[in-house]
Amino acid sequence: MEQIINPYILYGLCVLGAAGVCLALPRKGLSPQLFGGLLAGAVGGLAILFLGLKNPEHLPNIYFYIFSVVALGGALRVITHPRPVYAALYFVLTVIASAGLFLILSAEFMAFALVIVYAGAILITYLFVIMLATQSPQEDEVEVLMEYDIAAREPFASTVVGFLLLAVLTTMMFKGVGELPAPQVKDPDAILAAMPRRIESTLREEGLMPKGSTLKVDAQTGDAVVDWKHRTVTTIDGGGAPTVVSLPDDLKATNADHLGFNLLRDHPGTIEIAGVILLMAMLGAVVLSRKQVQIDEEAKMRQAHTLSGASFGPDSGTSKGGSL
Amino acid sequence: MIQVLQTLAQSGFPDRMHAATLSHFLLVSALMFVIGLIGFLTRRNLIIMFLCTELMFQAAGIALVAFGRYHLDFSGQTFVIFVLTVAAAEAAMALALVVLLFRRRESLNAEEWKELRG
Repeated sequence: MEQIINPYILYGLCVLGAAGVCLALPRKGLSPQLFGGLLAGAVGGLAILFLGLKNPEHLPNIYFYIFSVVALGGALRVITHPRPVYAALYFVLTVIASAGLFLILSAEFMAFALVIVYAGAILITYLFVIMLATQSPQEDEVEVLMEYDIAAREPFASTVVGFLLLAVLTTMMFKGVGELPAPQVKDPDAILAAMPRRIESTLREEGLMPKGSTLKVDAQTGDAVVDWKHRTVTTIDGGGAPTVVSLPDDLKATNADHLGFNLLRDHPGTIEIAGVILLMAMLGAVVLSRKQVQIDEEAKMRQAHTLSGASFGPDSGTSKGGSL
Repeated sequence: MIQVLQTLAQSGFPDRMHAATLSHFLLVSALMFVIGLIGFLTRRNLIIMFLCTELMFQAAGIALVAFGRYHLDFSGQTFVIFVLTVAAAEAAMALALVVLLFRRRESLNAEEWKELRG
């Protein structure tokens, strides 16, 4: 069995990383947040380095390290930053770095979709809601952070739970991954046959196909007839005489081609289902946000009672009568 | 710039990816998921809790795309598109709910709502 990383090293790093994250979580008063963050970051870096030790010839390229450090650092800052707006901005950083990781995995379309949809749309909505739901300080008072943002709830227990999960997840690093079936290498350009018009227009642009001739296509499927071994196609001129033409080298199937065929030919239902989900979400959001909240007198009394009660500190910031 | 992007994106594309390379991406994905989980459990701000679920979506997306690259199968990326859709729908609904809850209590503290029981 091929071990990619030694289990003892991995579990040791898990424990150290848990300590780092636990220290990095926000606490009331003086807290060693910076130290914890540095410790967690160093441990994450060590784990990635140890992964590469046994297979030095199969390292990912250098950009992987840059992007993953940025992504994980941003993610850690999302959960430790006491100000929600900054947390959201760090999340944008994480999204952009993971788009870089997608690029390394040659998923260009997904990388750009991620930046447009996540960083461009979803996170802006989050920022709007954060700004709507945070009371701005008056002219003369210093801005106070909300008490519920300053102190983490149960930092120790949740870190233990999280890193137990991490230990289970990473067990496959030295057990399962080595036994994965080897991937079959297919010719990635094979789907070009399903796009005879694209082949034709490329050939015409390159001047390989004279006027009046057509590409030979399969009569039943409409696909172009391509000999992939020699990368040749057959063109038929006006008189019906076939000519064998080799495909230009720069005619390649792109990531968007593959994704489009996979999405619309192999999984034709998904786009419709996605559309229905988005429509439902839009209707739901409209209905929910149009609802007027009427707080009657009794509820107001109860609320005032709760806010002044012992369950929350006097400094909780919740007793301010904000307006929205 | 364009050249850097091209070399990045086509880093040995049709060739098979070694399992050791795959495990690097899986480790990053697992770490990001766990950070999101810890954030969801520890933070008390409703909006940050939802932000942490987005972090977990992101981690799942990295794992899906990495497996898709390993097997040279594009269904992984198709699934990430679906995950993006669900994340967008979830953000719309959840933020509408958060605004509604904020109007009632004038606070984003999740513990304000601890009297809710199943």
